[in-house]
Amino acid sequence: MAEEIRAEMVANVWKVVASTGDDVAEGDTLVILESMKMEIPVIAESDGTVQQIAVNEGDVVQEGDLIAVVA
Amino acid sequence: MPASTAASDQSIVDSRDPETRLRALFDRGTLRLLASGDGSGALAARGEIDGGPVIAFVTDGTRMGGALGSEGCRHIVDAIDTAVRERIPVVGLWHSGGARVDEGVVALDGIGQVFAAMVRASGRVPQISVVLGPAAGGAAYGPALTDIVVMSGAGRIFVTGPEVVRSVTGEQVDMERLGGPEPHGRRSGVVHVTTNNDEDALRTARELAGLLGRQGRLSPADVPAGVEGFDLSSLMPAEANRAYDVKPVIGALLDPPRDGHTGPVELHARWAPNVVTTMGRFAGRTVGVIANNPLRLGGCLDAASAEKAARFVRMCDSLGVPLIVVVDVPGYLPGVGQEWDGVVRRGAKLLHAFAEAVVPRVTLVTRKAYGGAYIAMNSRSLGATAVFAWPTAELAVMGAAAAVNILHRKRLAATPVEEREALRAQLIEEQTHTAGGVNRALEIGVVDEVIEPTDTRRRIAEALAGAPAARGAHGNIPL
Repeated sequence: MAEEIRAEMVANVWKVVASTGDDVAEGDTLVILESMKMEIPVIAESDGTVQQIAVNEGDVVQEGDLIAVVA
Repeated sequence: MPASTAASDQSIVDSRDPETRLRALFDRGTLRLLASGDGSGALAARGEIDGGPVIAFVTDGTRMGGALGSEGCRHIVDAIDTAVRERIPVVGLWHSGGARVDEGVVALDGIGQVFAAMVRASGRVPQISVVLGPAAGGAAYGPALTDIVVMSGAGRIFVTGPEVVRSVTGEQVDMERLGGPEPHGRRSGVVHVTTNNDEDALRTARELAGLLGRQGRLSPADVPAGVEGFDLSSLMPAEANRAYDVKPVIGALLDPPRDGHTGPVELHARWAPNVVTTMGRFAGRTVGVIANNPLRLGGCLDAASAEKAARFVRMCDSLGVPLIVVVDVPGYLPGVGQEWDGVVRRGAKLLHAFAEAVVPRVTLVTRKAYGGAYIAMNSRSLGATAVFAWPTAELAVMGAAAAVNILHRKRLAATPVEEREALRAQLIEEQTHTAGGVNRALEIGVVDEVIEPTDTRRRIAEALAGAPAARGAHGNIPL
């Protein structure tokens, strides 16, 4: 089942770590956000392949915005 | 634990036979049936777990899908009442479709009496549920009323099954996606621990029954003091804005697993993961640990995590389990979703839970404690037994950089651009010193003592041991 990983808070996209096609394991970092003066990693919640990275470095994401799809 | 008392009939654990399931829960050879063999749909027994007395009941998944009638319910009520009388833990093994349809309202009345017995026992004895098969309808709320719910890979919990959901709402969903370990472990918070199989589920229940039923005594003298102790700060990054996983820190804080034990048990590991709630032993005694996890949401508190922590605090308080609170929190999570999700109402539960708790409860501020979240994490004002902080910790309304931007906005704007950053750096340093530094917190008494990371375990053990043992006089409502 494809898993959509969405932003849980308003944040700046600081670094995009994973790329489309990468195989990732649960707990791997996909993207690093910056918010509340903290670097906040967005991690894969299950094993799979990155189908899509929906953000670019420098973007501002709102709560609920799509960040990545892992399937 | 001697090998002879280990639960070791694991080869046949996956059987649905209710007596086999009970046998797998208890130490070998200790099972004594209290009620059985009457076709009622439920068995009850007494036995031992890790040498301590425990009551257990099981619904009979081999008979009408474990459906419960009035007689089976009476066995369960008697089992719970017996556990309360003897002040020992009660474990329920669930595999039941709910009320027996052929008995009608009589069965509903019986199930209602089970619920009432669970609420009577709440906060008086530990109640642990293990969901091994479907637990539907009335059988869903049985586990939900208890302190801790463990779900095996084949476990399912739902009020109405896929057929009813499909006919009423048109949603196509199978039992696993509706109420299996994934949805309840991650989305609903109904289940505290998910396991792959029955064997692991029963092993977890045994560990929890031991932790809650036989809590042991604190022996601070056994914990290395001063620079002899493990440097807990070595498990955190030097940069204050860098995220890290707090779980290894909790692992190093608690005692390592004893022979034959699983060690600490994290509850709600995948639900609201920005706060971690773990039961384990510390200096020989059962404790509950609550910690912000900077790896998730930067460690911010939010509606779900505050509620999760509040329920954990109230469970520990009602069962007499001391608390260790590890604080590294940048604040409450901002956002429309949070406000509409009731972050105020659900956050208030955590304030209420800590302020109400009478068990010894010690706070450690490792890196930072800001704003409303500072108060919520067992602060001095909420009645913490002791508040410790590491030398580099910051306690403030907000981070120093953010505070400077607000407090000195005009002065910074009036300063020539080339000098601005130097001034900002100087102001941040002053702000850290006057408003956020740990010395100021010590001066006004919201931190009792600044302690070294290596000495942390010993000092927490001494603080917990020095506090009078007490236990909250309240039940554990499933918040």
